[in-house]
Amino acid sequence: MRLSRNSVIDSGNEPSVSPAGAARKLHLHQKSGHYQGLFRAMGSPCELLVDTDDETSASKLLEIVAAEAWRIEDKFSRYLPDNIVARINDSDGQPVAVDDETANLLDFAETLYELSERRFDISSGALRKAWTFDGSDRVPTAHDIENAVATVGWHKLSWRRPEICLQPGMQIDLGGIGKEYAVDKAAGMVANEAPCSCLVNFGGDLVATGERQSSESWQVGIEAPGSSAVTAQKLIHLKTGALATSGDSRRYLLKDGKRYSHILDPLTGWPIENAPRSITVAADTCTQAGMLATLAMLSGADAEEFLAHQNIRFWCLR
Amino acid sequence: MAKKNSKTISVSLATATCSLLGTSVTTPVQAQEEPGWDFNTALLYYGESDDRVQDVSLNILGRRTYVDDRFLTLGLVLDSLTGATPGGALPFSSPQTFTSPSGLAVYTTPADVFPLDDTFLDTRFALSASWQQPLSRLFTMNAGLTASKEYDYLHLGANFKLARDFNKRNTTVSLGLAFANDELDPEGGAPVPLSAMLDVGDLSNKTGDQSKDIVDVVLGVTNVASRNLLFQLNYSFSNASGYLNDPFKFLSVVDGTSGDPIARIPAPGAVGPLYEYRFENRPDERTKHSVFGQTKYYMDGKVLDLSYRYMTDDWEIDSHTIDARYRWPVGDSSYLEPHLRYYTQNAAEFYRISLVNGAPPVSFASSDYRLGDFDAITVGMKYGWKTRSGNEMSARLEYYMQDGDAPSDQIIGNQASRELYPGLDAIIAQFSYRFGK
Repeated sequence: MRLSRNSVIDSGNEPSVSPAGAARKLHLHQKSGHYQGLFRAMGSPCELLVDTDDETSASKLLEIVAAEAWRIEDKFSRYLPDNIVARINDSDGQPVAVDDETANLLDFAETLYELSERRFDISSGALRKAWTFDGSDRVPTAHDIENAVATVGWHKLSWRRPEICLQPGMQIDLGGIGKEYAVDKAAGMVANEAPCSCLVNFGGDLVATGERQSSESWQVGIEAPGSSAVTAQKLIHLKTGALATSGDSRRYLLKDGKRYSHILDPLTGWPIENAPRSITVAADTCTQAGMLATLAMLSGADAEEFLAHQNIRFWCLR
Repeated sequence: MAKKNSKTISVSLATATCSLLGTSVTTPVQAQEEPGWDFNTALLYYGESDDRVQDVSLNILGRRTYVDDRFLTLGLVLDSLTGATPGGALPFSSPQTFTSPSGLAVYTTPADVFPLDDTFLDTRFALSASWQQPLSRLFTMNAGLTASKEYDYLHLGANFKLARDFNKRNTTVSLGLAFANDELDPEGGAPVPLSAMLDVGDLSNKTGDQSKDIVDVVLGVTNVASRNLLFQLNYSFSNASGYLNDPFKFLSVVDGTSGDPIARIPAPGAVGPLYEYRFENRPDERTKHSVFGQTKYYMDGKVLDLSYRYMTDDWEIDSHTIDARYRWPVGDSSYLEPHLRYYTQNAAEFYRISLVNGAPPVSFASSDYRLGDFDAITVGMKYGWKTRSGNEMSARLEYYMQDGDAPSDQIIGNQASRELYPGLDAIIAQFSYRFGK
């Protein structure tokens, strides 16, 4: 039996610079039994599936979801010049007071830093400057990496709500949390707005709000590393809750036959070795699913063991 | 590194996520992989002491999962039964001869030995099929058919269950109904109730086929009280009507003073019993009520499973069952599970160890040890492990001890010095293998 897929998790999206205002278009299509809305945000294709026949309400929900995605992108993208992240990164050692939402994200980042034993670190931005994962063989020198590691470490900055103070040269990047956070926020808004089931999918991190009227599931394909989106390797049937995927299918360096994953260990500055190519986690919220997938990636060869202890469903592709 | 990775952080992460998103209410995730078949197979040996019943049973259960929580379950059981079983007569200081259930042969029990019928041999073959699917967001239904065939027995049954989830799916209330019809056609015919055991070849006390109907109703509540605690409470009603006798069971007819069996002389030229026995008779209806409570407590990979069942019926049997299991992880992929079960029941109103010669006739009487007053203890251990390919295997070894008492007001004369209840010990060994997606 061949199953139709509602949605495909595309685990290899390169976050790209998308100037605010450019290409911010919404597309709505009627599918069999639901509406599909499409737009781009946070460097990824974004999708909203609405379990309804009513175009007006689908269109309204799509506007709400896109507006929230773009709001979060504008506020927290490290690629944009005037937002709160830019103010913090350009503060040159001066304290910056932040609003409640930013403070909540910083609190969350601090908790993750502790839970991950310092391996999930939003201050590892300098490392990403040393490494460019474009499929080439440009592996940075040990010297460059040492220099970058010197400016990394949550413990080196001071965070006392509502004030954050970075050491000169340090950078923070909320990209590791932002997309999942945006999915949960947008899903919360559509759940408040309409009782019908929606699938909010930002580049493969997704949430299903409520069960569909027909009690059918949303079908989500997990893409196999290196394959095209047409041949998803596994289908997951999602009724409610979230799925998030962490993977390196397209973001890596290859030198002397060695593959360097884009998952960097902030403690050493080098890519994590022997990590799975892709990890998909199911959890109640997209933020939980995404963080567990990321922390599992950071566990390298022990990813499956880490996940097995978390009381969750997961799918690892190696 | 392995130690660090064993850390469970999902609870701390859930708390932090609630603070971040400013909500404490989330819908629990329901995600399911692309479905397929999985199989649960088991080979079981049950062996009673003293060459009594031995059963080798092969059990195969296949489950096909379809999308959206729909399941097809198919089951096959093959049993091969051999060995001896108590016919119901009391032991005596002389050998006793009995006409076999077919009415075409005799077997003899030595003096001072509990009489056992060793002509017992059967193969049972059972099939089941059921289909489960959600009916709407909160309702799930399950419908099934069952059939089993033995040499002289045919069972056909149908069942239906409806469940509804409440309380964010933490509570499930279910109502189950089952109907069964059992046809019994013993070789030579079922004996006329309370008729005497006759000589070989005399089939004048045999009747034709018999049947019974059984209706079961189960009302259940399952509640997930917390992440670690699950409760279940069931009430069951069962009504059986029709032929409820065991056609192979009979009672000794004894002297009211000595308690010894009454001698009998077979017809000239015939072979037959040398003492008098009468076939049992039970009421043609039995209504049972039972209450079952179970709790499972999960503690960091360990599981404590406790249950209790109380059953009462209009044959005036009351029984209590207490069952305890504790699953104890050993390493990453195996566990040990000790098991302890205690069962106790009192005798049916019409249970009697013998019939008194010349006493006023009784309507109902059975000396079937399963209707007597007895206690049973099961002690066991199971070891389960996961194979490299993710399949599960387990081996279980259990010891069962059953012992009962004859009601003291029924013991007559010389009976006091004889064994009056055929207690038994049994060994249960099982190997299971679960495989599939």
